Amino acid sequence: MAEFLVRAIPLCPLLACLFVALAGARWLKDKSHLPVALGCALSCACSVLLLFSLPPSPSNPSGQKTVKLYQWMEVVEPEVAGIPGYQPGGAGGSPGLDVWIALRADSLSATMLAMLTFVATLVVVYASGYMHDDRAYWRFFAIVALFVFSMIMLVLSASFLQLFVFWEAVGLCSYLLIGFWYEKPEAAAAGMKAFVVNRIGDFGFAAGVFLIWVTFGSTDFARVLDGQAIADVYQRNPYLLTTICLCLFTGAIGKSAQFPLHVWLPDAMEGPTPVSALIHAATMVTAGVYLVARCTPLYQLSPTAQEFVAVIGAITALLAALIALTQNDLKRVLAYSTVSQLGFMFLGLGTGSLVGVGGAMFHLVTHAFFKALLFLGAGSVMHAMGGVIDMREFRGLKNLMPQTHTTFLVGALALAGLPPLSGFWSKDTILGAVHEQAHPHAVAAAADGETRAEPVVATTPFGMSRPSLYNLLYWIGTFTAFLTAFYTFRAFFLTFYNGPEKVPHAAGHHAHESPAVMCRPLWILAVGAALLGLLFGHLTGVFDGFLGRTIPGLAEAAHEHGINWTVALVSTLVALAGVALAWFMYKEESPVPARVAALAGPFTRLSENRFYLDEVYKTLVVRPLEALSQVSRFADWLLVDGALVTGVSRIPSLLGQLPRPIQNGLVQFYALAMMLATAVLMWALLSKQT
Amino acid sequence: MFSSELLPCLMVALPLVGAGLVLLSPPKSPDQARWTALTNVLLTFVLALLLVARYQVPELLPPNADEVDRRELVKQTLQMGRSFPWLSPRAASEPVAGAQRQVDTPVQLAFAVDGISLWLIVLAALLMIPAVLVSWNAIDERPGRFYALMLLLEAGMIGVFAAQDIILFYIFFEFTLIPLFFMIGIWGGSDRRWAARKFFIYTLAGSVLTFLGLLFIVLSEQWMSNSPALTFSIPELTASIQQQIAASPQNAAYWGRVSPWIFAALFAGFAIKVPLFPFHTWLPLAHVEAPTAGSVLLAGVLLKIGSYGFLRFALPLVPGASVAHFHLVAILAVIGIIYGALLALAQEDIKKLVAYSSVSHMGFCVLGLFAFNTVGLTGGLLQMINHGLSTGALFALVGMLYERYHTRDIASYGGLARKYPRMAFCLLVVAFSSIGLPGLNGFTGEVTSLMGMFATNRLYGTLSLAGIILGAWYTLSLVRRTFFGRLREPVQSHQHSPVVSHHQAHGQPAETPLTDLNLREMCALGVLIVPIFWIGLYPKFFTRRMQPSLQPIVAVLQEQGAVMLSQKNALPVERPVQASQPAPSPANSTISR
Repeated sequence: MAEFLVRAIPLCPLLACLFVALAGARWLKDKSHLPVALGCALSCACSVLLLFSLPPSPSNPSGQKTVKLYQWMEVVEPEVAGIPGYQPGGAGGSPGLDVWIALRADSLSATMLAMLTFVATLVVVYASGYMHDDRAYWRFFAIVALFVFSMIMLVLSASFLQLFVFWEAVGLCSYLLIGFWYEKPEAAAAGMKAFVVNRIGDFGFAAGVFLIWVTFGSTDFARVLDGQAIADVYQRNPYLLTTICLCLFTGAIGKSAQFPLHVWLPDAMEGPTPVSALIHAATMVTAGVYLVARCTPLYQLSPTAQEFVAVIGAITALLAALIALTQNDLKRVLAYSTVSQLGFMFLGLGTGSLVGVGGAMFHLVTHAFFKALLFLGAGSVMHAMGGVIDMREFRGLKNLMPQTHTTFLVGALALAGLPPLSGFWSKDTILGAVHEQAHPHAVAAAADGETRAEPVVATTPFGMSRPSLYNLLYWIGTFTAFLTAFYTFRAFFLTFYNGPEKVPHAAGHHAHESPAVMCRPLWILAVGAALLGLLFGHLTGVFDGFLGRTIPGLAEAAHEHGINWTVALVSTLVALAGVALAWFMYKEESPVPARVAALAGPFTRLSENRFYLDEVYKTLVVRPLEALSQVSRFADWLLVDGALVTGVSRIPSLLGQLPRPIQNGLVQFYALAMMLATAVLMWALLSKQT
Repeated sequence: MFSSELLPCLMVALPLVGAGLVLLSPPKSPDQARWTALTNVLLTFVLALLLVARYQVPELLPPNADEVDRRELVKQTLQMGRSFPWLSPRAASEPVAGAQRQVDTPVQLAFAVDGISLWLIVLAALLMIPAVLVSWNAIDERPGRFYALMLLLEAGMIGVFAAQDIILFYIFFEFTLIPLFFMIGIWGGSDRRWAARKFFIYTLAGSVLTFLGLLFIVLSEQWMSNSPALTFSIPELTASIQQQIAASPQNAAYWGRVSPWIFAALFAGFAIKVPLFPFHTWLPLAHVEAPTAGSVLLAGVLLKIGSYGFLRFALPLVPGASVAHFHLVAILAVIGIIYGALLALAQEDIKKLVAYSSVSHMGFCVLGLFAFNTVGLTGGLLQMINHGLSTGALFALVGMLYERYHTRDIASYGGLARKYPRMAFCLLVVAFSSIGLPGLNGFTGEVTSLMGMFATNRLYGTLSLAGIILGAWYTLSLVRRTFFGRLREPVQSHQHSPVVSHHQAHGQPAETPLTDLNLREMCALGVLIVPIFWIGLYPKFFTRRMQPSLQPIVAVLQEQGAVMLSQKNALPVERPVQASQPAPSPANSTISR
């Protein structure tokens, strides 16, 4: 059963993709969404069934199921007599390649699959309304199906190399969909930026995969993520594990838009809004989180890597939230909020504790629901406003778009992390896990019922002890939670309240609520965003229990950890404060925001200009590289081709020039030369005789 | 059915016959010449497919294989061989003393295929199809002669890969220059004379040195083996030399002394042909001036002769010197990868951009070959095929664009995707193949080359990864600037433009309507795009057939590495050293770090 499901899940979208790609332009036309919606829905049904068909057994405690499809490549190194063959982890040598395209399902990937296919199905249904008038309707759905297939394969990968393959494949789909309206120069540029910036991350990822390959002799999860193998490597060289972890994390930084490579994600909003919801909020960008969660056994042995992940996550969360404060483009606010929430997930992963990993994965799932909901809501607004998304151009849409208003409110509350909505439970788990790292003493005491002798105080690469580092990160996280609530509700109030209804010219006179095909997905997502936390979160322990099959010990750790009520109370109060402040400033049209902005002048400018990071990149990376390439062009012309090649080619003719004056055609000169030569010759002969 | 032994010979002969037929066709009817050439090319390709079908994959080396096993495997991989006596420096009737050699004529017309040449022959035969198709309308000045030259070139390309005799190899090696010289010199762009001359003299200068090196190998082998007769047969030479190195330390010492010189001589010709930095400057000029078909074949097949030379001669015949020169070649390759990419980034001429990207991509290929492990060698060989496909297709696409607008200036284009959706699709596939997107062919070659190099030397492996970032940058910039954004077409002023004045000298070219790709052009690109997907999705089909031929080479190289290491380790014994030096792992450490 499980094997059939695992095969069917990627197959459905693949067939849909091929069908639409071949038949879309000619025959399907405006029905192109049907095969894709059907494929995603079937895939979703299979994914939900799969959740229940991976039972753990004594021989297979994780309940994982691997289906090998075909061998992609096999390279066997010869074993030469007298030369000991490859030793894993040795100084060098290639262990050969044995790469299979395989599907590996376990509770971690099944969770991702269920979330992914569910959101994808809703987005496809929504998009059939949103993209209705587009002339390349079929192209859109073909690429979306290709994306769903690639993402499923990424999640089901059984080896790092296969993961890398589909990692790049989803990057391709992202490129194609950001640049979907390729005639807009901004869209084309944004697509390229996304791909190239991601390539920088992939550089690290590839190096990490190569390093894993030479260290473990394989890139299969089964062989690499095996406790014994990792322990062996750790014994030999602990720094190797840290290097691997940091390399892999570089890939995650690129794909999950973490500082300093986050610059591509806001620009990616040039793509159609359903794409922003599906790819650039709910699914693809979480691939980095999935990768790090998948590699939990590696990260657990490397505190340095954990601290690195946590610090990058916290910086990103804070920075993106600060930028989101002043953005006027509704989609960009949401984009920065995505960056910030992804930072939260990495903060959870960076605690290195099982609770943190579980919290990050849970946040991934809840975030997918409420962020997809918010993006689709923004798309609904954009649809009604005739493509305008600047919040200064419209306001007071509450009565015009009641359904969008209500669902958006649910999403905003979940994002702000107010109980009992889903965002609260996941965010709280992460903050609790960080808090635990900051106060290892107290937690250990509470858990053991007695005081431990001494907490381990280790210095981090960041110059402070681990507890104080995580204490700092905890407060950053809490402050970010405040900012999150504030900017989310700023956007909410600016759009739906803030004075009398105002509609831009582009919308014409018939601005209206979106059709049912767009509103129904909103309601379904809203239900999910509201209830997921209550149903599967800490109260029931369902999520941790299920994930605990893949990450052993998670269920017990989560149970032991429980809910840290202090942390929960603080974060709730902070979020309420954020909402209240936004209500005060933006509920009605008032001069307060302008005055506050003027008061914080330099900061406002920093935030509005996204901390000038794009400009920094332009001056520090792009311009120098372009200059370097021009210099190389000049050097190639002047030195390599000019001096070297042309120089060498002159040598024969120069050599010819040397004896040329001798052949001057003067008979007197020839006679003189003959005489002189004879004289010299005779002198030489005579002197030799005597 | 005919004997498959004749297949390689037939594949060399068929284009020669075709060239004659094309020349015989009346000059008044260019269509007849075109169709004759196309039929001939297609027939040759069918033979190439037959070659693949008939090729039997031998078993890989057993564990702990020794020198005898390797020779046995080499014998098995060499298939469909046939040789005819040809030239003899001595009287053929002279009795051969030791009777070690069964042949009585040293220089032979010997053709055969093994896992290395098999795919290069198929590549050459495949690339001829788009080469003929893209010239269909582009060449209307004496098309008969053009196609005849192209078919001669095909015979040369197939011959150079199938030749199993050093003299024969060298003849084909030089022979490929002549048709291309005329193709560039007669049908090329405005600066065609200078380009043709530079291309010819530069590559000839290198290959003459290579020939000296090859002769030196032949003479040394005879001297060391005390054999009365010279042998020019490549497999025999390889086996004999490797046997000598393995047999006695004196022999090994002799080869150790002469092999650096041989390596230097071989390197001169092959490095220019690849081309490795800093020997690359002939390439952009030749590409820019060459007609489209010339560019396709030059980038697609002729560059591979250089890397093929490394794989066929340098690595197996002078393994010690190859290992010793690891750093030199690897550094040049890494520089080539990054420098070529930077140069490509600076270009405003589409053809120049693609030409410099070739420098970068061929760097990966050499890097893979000099990783000295099977993963790297497989990657290097795959990369040769992949580069041939994707760069060939890129040049074909550029040619199609040029036929429509008569300019190669990137800045004068924009937003063509709306007007030419099919061309945009093909360009995207080819561009992503060239970038190394998984699922397409470029990835398989690049990633295996890099993995091989990474296993041997982390630093070079990591540095060359940077080329992948730059590759995405310049390739996607090209796509974005020409096909995305608002539609911008160059002004149609070629009737009066001085740049294309030579067209007027040869009469007006047929007008190409400004419409999307027609059936002929789709076919030209289609035959390249199918293998692009095939190699990307199921590379095992190709690598399985390569490996038996690569493994013996790797085994020799690894042995040489171990020998060099032991020599290096023998030195410090004489001087007092810190005793606690950890023993470096064998095989690769001489070249690690």
